[in-house]
Amino acid sequence: MILKWAPMSEAIIAVGAATLALALVVGGLAIAGFSPWSVIAVGWAGIAGSPLRLAICAQEAIPLLMCGLAATLALRSGVLNIGLEGQYLLGAVAAVAVLTLGPVGSCLPWLALIAGGLAGALWCAVAVGLERGRGVPLVLSTILLNVIAIHVVGVCVQGPLHDPATAAPQSAMVPDGSRMPLLFAGTPLHVGFLVAVMLAVALWLMQRRTALGFELEVIGLNPLAARFAGIPVGRRELTAALGSGALAGIAGAMQVAGVTWFLSSDVRSYGYAGIAVALLGRLHPLGVIPAAFFFSGLDLGARQLERRLDIPHDLGDVTKGLALAAVLVAGALSRRLGSSRPGTP
Amino acid sequence: MIRFASITKTFSGVTALAGVSLTAATGTVHGVLGENGAGKSTLMRIAFGLERADHGAIEIGSSENRTSSGPRSPRDAARLGLGMVHQHFTLVPTATVTEACVLGASHGLGLVDHAAWQARIRATAAMLQWQIDPDARISSLGVGQQQRVEIIKALLSVGSVQGTASPFSARGVLILDEPTAVLTPQEVDELLPAVRRLAAAGTTVLFISHKLHEVERVCDAVTILRRGAVVHSGPVAGLSTQRMAELMVGTTVNLPSPARQPVTGAPALVITKLSERANAPAPRLTDVSFTVHQNEIVAIAGVDGNGQTALVRCVLGLDRADAVVTPGIPADQRLAGVERIGLIPDDRQHEALVMELSIERNLVLKDHHRPPFARYGWLDFAAWRAHAVDLVQRFSIRGAGPAATVASLSGGNQQKVVIARELHRQPKLIVAINPTRGLDVAASAEVLERLVSARDHGAAVLLVHHDLDELLSVADRVLVLFGGRMTDSGWPACDRAHIGRLMLGVA
Repeated sequence: MILKWAPMSEAIIAVGAATLALALVVGGLAIAGFSPWSVIAVGWAGIAGSPLRLAICAQEAIPLLMCGLAATLALRSGVLNIGLEGQYLLGAVAAVAVLTLGPVGSCLPWLALIAGGLAGALWCAVAVGLERGRGVPLVLSTILLNVIAIHVVGVCVQGPLHDPATAAPQSAMVPDGSRMPLLFAGTPLHVGFLVAVMLAVALWLMQRRTALGFELEVIGLNPLAARFAGIPVGRRELTAALGSGALAGIAGAMQVAGVTWFLSSDVRSYGYAGIAVALLGRLHPLGVIPAAFFFSGLDLGARQLERRLDIPHDLGDVTKGLALAAVLVAGALSRRLGSSRPGTP
Repeated sequence: MIRFASITKTFSGVTALAGVSLTAATGTVHGVLGENGAGKSTLMRIAFGLERADHGAIEIGSSENRTSSGPRSPRDAARLGLGMVHQHFTLVPTATVTEACVLGASHGLGLVDHAAWQARIRATAAMLQWQIDPDARISSLGVGQQQRVEIIKALLSVGSVQGTASPFSARGVLILDEPTAVLTPQEVDELLPAVRRLAAAGTTVLFISHKLHEVERVCDAVTILRRGAVVHSGPVAGLSTQRMAELMVGTTVNLPSPARQPVTGAPALVITKLSERANAPAPRLTDVSFTVHQNEIVAIAGVDGNGQTALVRCVLGLDRADAVVTPGIPADQRLAGVERIGLIPDDRQHEALVMELSIERNLVLKDHHRPPFARYGWLDFAAWRAHAVDLVQRFSIRGAGPAATVASLSGGNQQKVVIARELHRQPKLIVAINPTRGLDVAASAEVLERLVSARDHGAAVLLVHHDLDELLSVADRVLVLFGGRMTDSGWPACDRAHIGRLMLGVA
């Protein structure tokens, strides 16, 4: 009974929080004199006004979804990997290296994803190694490695990956033949979208239906009981950490192989956004999909509102923050109510 | 002066204190003795405002400070003149001594006069003849020094709340909760005279302990608790440690379990001269040797904190110890799989169960990765459900069905989940640590019966238990752990008082 009810209530919490945040922002705009109906209509048109816009929304959701999955895998297992930002960047660096320094070919983007995944996992492994060998808390080392990763990108785009044709700190363009294939001709949406959705389903099956997933869940909830039950906690945590780093690295690789086609020192990372997406998705691999769309839709809608109605696009980020705050408060409240449920004798 | 009048406290139906009365006169050191679970801690928590009594009253200092059911909070206790030094220190390691004391005090919204606090700390330390540097960092201090800071902090916090300049007032009461548990013998020798000086300066000290020699050395009077009731209260003079030990553990006649066949089973756990490394914290396990055979329950008696934790960790393979051998089971696999070792850990909510998960999932934990519960790493939930339904029925786990969370169960039924999981495969060796802790009488009896029946079916049982009565009712042999050393009591050829003396190191 409770097990069946739980996922439903999780979904209600997330949808309720998102709705509340939207209502607050639209309500605020209404007080400022904007008709709520035109705000909603213009915003929605920016997201889904045409098949092209919808494709852009999906394309922008890809890195959010991938980083959201990375965060879900780690946090569900009690591994506080806050280094998705850096792992994403290292994945992008590795992918650009494969795509611009090697030969041209249609299998190259897939090799780039593999390289990106390895690089992300390796960057996370550095943090795990510091924790195991030197006792550095993972939270701190992963955050600090994010800062280093930004500078690794800077060094690479001015050094080994620098495009000799320009003075700007950026890499060469990925040649046409080595780019991620498109899902629909005429839209920018690449097949990475399908890969990300399939990874979400795979992660869900792993968590739900495999012994590994059950062990990671137990470790996340009570590592001591896991230890006493003979589960090799250290090894499982390493698996979760490396898997999480790999997903973030693949996210970075997908973005350069399918969207930006080059890397510069002011590259945008989606690591921190991914953690927010994962929390809004209630750390459920399938819940992360709508959460990623919510974030990318807010970006697109807010930009459209700025263009058409001169409303600052920062309101999109404000809405994300409100939704996240609401979902965390609601989660804490539901836990408290849940724990005070009367026990049966 | 502090007076407890008929304090009664029950926790979800289990009586922790049954009408406890105790009076400690001004300027005396009053010992409170009792086994683990006798109710010492609960009584002190009520005095300090951490718990409220169901019935009864507490009077601190004088009769105008009479509160029914005790102070409302530690701050309220301090206002009444009562301070407490906990067994586990509560100091911030990065703070200085002065900062630690300021933290414990009340100073409204006013500024902190650092120099005045330093002077107060120096004065208090001088009174107790202690050397304390008010600017030293807590982390740089040894355990004995930290305890001095805790005592000064408690004294000053009472003084600051009452607004009196001197922390030693006739109304002041200081509770020391097992103050010597973490100290070396030298540090104990330094602490006890200071406790006497405190009393001489007018403070009333409640000295919680189960170390009889210390009580004899430092206390004027003593109250002995047993199972939540006072069994003796009076001056220490004329009371031998032997007699104290008897009062503490009781003199009920315990008939050994019906005569059993001499042990013929194969050894399931062999420990040969197990010693911890020389720099291990006290109590260091020293030359511990014993064997647990199949078809017997070997019980380890002892007051908590005499090496039980380290011993259990070695037996389970959590700490590496070549001296521990479990025939047929490699050390690193002792915890994996329920057919090897059935483990009933001390703290079921943290060490055995995942409270947020269902009964079904907790029952399959440990076996979840092997057939029929999983094939090639893929889980078969139908098998999980069938397994859970079977065990819930066989072990009569009463709750809202296999899908209910373990958190929704009562303590007794939570323990049944642990026992069902650990014992249903009839492991060769069972390790049970305080398996009835927190359970009511009926649930405790059921747990013990399960152990006896497992023994009768051929299991070797190692039982580490804090409750001597229960332990003696099921044990075939009783070993006593005191200060990291093990003694065979000779049970059932000895009497219970002998075991009590061994437990308290006065044999």
